[in-house]
Amino acid sequence: MSVNADNVPDPTPVLEFSDVSVEVRNERSRSRAILDSISLRIEHGETVGIVGGSGSGKSTLLRLAAGVFSADLVLVHGRVSTVGTDLLGATLAEREKIYGSVVALVAQSIGEALTPHLTVLSHFRDTVGREVQNEQLLQSLAEVGLVGEKYLKRFPHQLSGGERQRVLLALALARSPQLLLLDEPTSALDAGIGTAVLATIKRVQQIRGFALVCVSHDLGVVSQIAKRTAVMNAGRIVETGATAQVLQAPAHAYTKVLVSSIPKLDQRVRESSSRKSEAVIVCRNLTVVRGGATRAIESLDFEVKKGEVVGIIGESGSGKSSLLAAICGLVPVTSGTLHSGDGYDLSTALHLRPRRILSSIQMVFQNPDDSLNPARTVAQSLSRYTHATNDQMCAGLRSVGLDEQFLSRRPREMSGGEKQRAAIARALLSNPQILLLDEVTSALDVTVQAAVMKTLAEVQQTMEFALVIVSHDIALIASFVDRILVLRNGRLIEQGLVANVIGSPADSYTRSLIEISAQRVLV
Amino acid sequence: MKDLARRVIFSLTTFVALAAVSFLGVDALPGDGCTALLGRFGSPAKVEACRAENQLNNPVLVRLRDWSYDLARGDLGYSIKRDEQVLKIILPRLRNTAIMGAVAALLAFPSAIAVGLMLGRYPRSRIGRAINQLSVIAMTLPEFVIATMLWLLLSIWIPLFPGVNVVPSNATVLQLLPNVWLPALTLAAVIFAHAMRTMRASVAIIQTMPFVESARLRGTKERVTIARHILPAALPPVVNVIAVDGAWLLTGTFVTEAVFNYQGLGRLAIDAISDRDTALILPIVLFGLAVYLAASLSADMCVRLLDPRLRTAGQ
Amino acid sequence: MNSSLRLRSGQLPVVVFGTLGLHALVALLAPYLPLLPTDAQNSAALLQPPSAAYWLGTDSLGRDVFSRVLHGGRPSLVIAFAATGISAVSGIFIGALAALAGGWIDEALSRVVDFMLALPTLILLLLISSFFGQDPVILSLALGFMYAAPIARVARSTTQALLARDFVRVARLQGGSRLSILTGEILPNVWRVVFTEVTMQFTWILLAFSSLSFLGLGASPPTPEWGLMIAESRSYMTLNPLLVIAPILMLATLVLAIQGLVDRE
Repeated sequence: MSVNADNVPDPTPVLEFSDVSVEVRNERSRSRAILDSISLRIEHGETVGIVGGSGSGKSTLLRLAAGVFSADLVLVHGRVSTVGTDLLGATLAEREKIYGSVVALVAQSIGEALTPHLTVLSHFRDTVGREVQNEQLLQSLAEVGLVGEKYLKRFPHQLSGGERQRVLLALALARSPQLLLLDEPTSALDAGIGTAVLATIKRVQQIRGFALVCVSHDLGVVSQIAKRTAVMNAGRIVETGATAQVLQAPAHAYTKVLVSSIPKLDQRVRESSSRKSEAVIVCRNLTVVRGGATRAIESLDFEVKKGEVVGIIGESGSGKSSLLAAICGLVPVTSGTLHSGDGYDLSTALHLRPRRILSSIQMVFQNPDDSLNPARTVAQSLSRYTHATNDQMCAGLRSVGLDEQFLSRRPREMSGGEKQRAAIARALLSNPQILLLDEVTSALDVTVQAAVMKTLAEVQQTMEFALVIVSHDIALIASFVDRILVLRNGRLIEQGLVANVIGSPADSYTRSLIEISAQRVLV
Repeated sequence: MKDLARRVIFSLTTFVALAAVSFLGVDALPGDGCTALLGRFGSPAKVEACRAENQLNNPVLVRLRDWSYDLARGDLGYSIKRDEQVLKIILPRLRNTAIMGAVAALLAFPSAIAVGLMLGRYPRSRIGRAINQLSVIAMTLPEFVIATMLWLLLSIWIPLFPGVNVVPSNATVLQLLPNVWLPALTLAAVIFAHAMRTMRASVAIIQTMPFVESARLRGTKERVTIARHILPAALPPVVNVIAVDGAWLLTGTFVTEAVFNYQGLGRLAIDAISDRDTALILPIVLFGLAVYLAASLSADMCVRLLDPRLRTAGQ
Repeated sequence: MNSSLRLRSGQLPVVVFGTLGLHALVALLAPYLPLLPTDAQNSAALLQPPSAAYWLGTDSLGRDVFSRVLHGGRPSLVIAFAATGISAVSGIFIGALAALAGGWIDEALSRVVDFMLALPTLILLLLISSFFGQDPVILSLALGFMYAAPIARVARSTTQALLARDFVRVARLQGGSRLSILTGEILPNVWRVVFTEVTMQFTWILLAFSSLSFLGLGASPPTPEWGLMIAESRSYMTLNPLLVIAPILMLATLVLAIQGLVDRE
């Protein structure tokens, strides 16, 4: 808690939004509201989370708090006061005084938030100046969990994702700001590493006592470090309250949908079925090598049965994407066998496979922006290689919850969820026996994800294809599939029915994955 | 390091291959040193006598071998027409072109980087837009137009510089100096725009990267952000432009030298081609090649130095 | 964020397309317009200032400057179109093929392209035009093949980037043939970038030919060509400045308009 000169707790809020409305205006399109009548008051030493989907305005709100205002934004009315100063109206000199020493923003570490050609030491020097001793810098790094002199001399590309985020944290705290603003601090990190980073943030905040505002699309992230949470939707704050209460007893309709969309380990969204059927994919002792020496998959034994839903869980580098790529032929098999159910050798190169094999295995990829050819309409993308008729396309779209008018739409006119649905429809038009999904909902809002998964369940039940879903989110997998495989560093750690693997995991790695997931929505 | 070695070897083999191809190509052109010397007035007998004297009747491959040996020893050959060792003809011209190029480079590159940096960082200034429009014009107008316009402006209407060079090629540097400015200004105008716009575009891209904003919002001062964070990251494409245009300053300036009658390598090249002096043409072509390959390699090494990721690859 | 420094964004396209349209009309229609013949010399009216009979005056041989200026773009435009056509087609074909084929074909083609990029183009041009006469066919072919290399390089890198994108992978999964993927997925997304490069090449070739003519190695007298006209009339600038200014203006407006077209992308 910050105190003023008389050692009395400082009554002015560290951050206050007073009825703020912001629009975006550029020459081409009409103005669009980004923030609508936002009022929010944060006291010194408080920890607040702001949760919302994409387009909710949460990032804009955070950046306004930091005094960052891009040229096409217009403040329609209201006032933003950061540590008592209206940063938006301040001069450059005034803002420079506040940056770093009073407020600091830690951006998403997707891409490069650290300057690639400067060492960690240089970063510190540019922030704190030359007078500060190296020992003090080493202390700052140790505080965030990076112990050892070696870190000062490293370049950003020599650090892992988690290490980079910790360095950013140390840099932000180097001048002891009163307010720390975090923008999606763990979205680029694996779940375990992200949780560790959040724990560090929480610990440091408790020791140093600064105010903390954390923006995320993920309620689980916010629940780990914020005592109070505000939920945003379409530019408005729809609900605020103690985090525990928002999670357990949401008041607003949107918050209710948000909370119920979050996949939970113990909540099934799809009935599991265990039918005895023949295998459609058999792989024995599979090894796949990518890019020289890296063994993406090592001696894997794996089967998929007809009409079954299998989930593959693993962190980055586990080989899960490579497995899918090998099955559908995009990546060559190095050794081992990979067969379809009727004996066709799936290690055959893609351009040598006959048509019936090609159409029997289809895949949908992770990035909604990449799934569809931007130069084509949906109809063209759907029909070009499948030669589907108009009727077939309409039926296909309907089965994934899209209306016929999407046939004439182009990708830039569609949302992420709509694009993924179209991509799924396209895959289904080939009438596959096996559908492979590679993290297809990871880039979508959690509410959109829930809707897409529901649609997938319906379509799978109707068309009865085998479904292989890959994800890093064990709760998502556990709530949906019949059988789970756990991969780590290219090896199969554990597999079995969901109830068995989740209920009584055999391997400690699986156990840790389950624990981390459970922690995230625990308050 | 291995990659660099590969590049060097590739450049050397390219050079050798192109040298051989150039020799054969120039040899295939109609005429040779003797017809150049005697021109239309040479009777066939005289031409034959000249050829015998100069060993031009040997088979092509023999001549290629002899020429390669000479080249390796640094002997660039002998121009029959000009009755002079090629090296002696080329060196003063090279010096003149180098001086002109150096002046142009000094005028253009530092200012282009500075202006590009400022325009990239602050795109909305009025001056910025004006400079940008002017540089677009400078970049798209052909060299001879710019040369002619500068000649009009700074030699005819405002008699500041001598319009046409009358100083011989082996004059002293001091005597040469007044004649250097107009050609150097022309060349500077041509290359300024390219380097400036490349810098500007590069800075514009770098600016959108998270680390720039991240640095500012931590409290890094603006000046420090520009100098230490933005500049080194934005330089690589500009280094390539400087290398290519720098090479051009030594090898491609014939038009400007023609306009001002500046006695440099470019002027020599035009004269040699008009005279069909094949012994002279070949070394000039090879020189152009060598400069381009060297510039490419240097640019590569500089870019490597700038980006630690390329240096420590494999760690 | 980065703005694209347009002057007046509404008016600019009009200016650009208008200028290009005018140039195109003039170049195409010049022989059919009621103009004075470009090679009609009039020794009684040398270096005259503009008059009713000669709208822009006359040059050192008494020829009508106005008529010559209107005809002056044709030689370089013809060669520029021909050469650009050759370089674009061969460049895109080689580049996309290299990227699609991969393996040793890619290596071999890339070496060839690197080799061609290293050639000192201007010197070669001088050589070719000097020794083989100023035959427009030879010049077009030479220019076309020399300038195919940069286009091939751009086509190859853009195609490679595209091949990594998911929708192309899906096309392969759904059984698309290489040709089908090339025309369906790659070309529609590549043409914009390549178009920019091709347009810049067009400008380059246009200017290269004008420069050649300026040096006396391109269009030969008495052909009216802007570069040649500037070279011929330099010495007479003071007597009739339009002799040099008119062709400069024509050349400058054409090239700037093309640049304006490219900059908008």
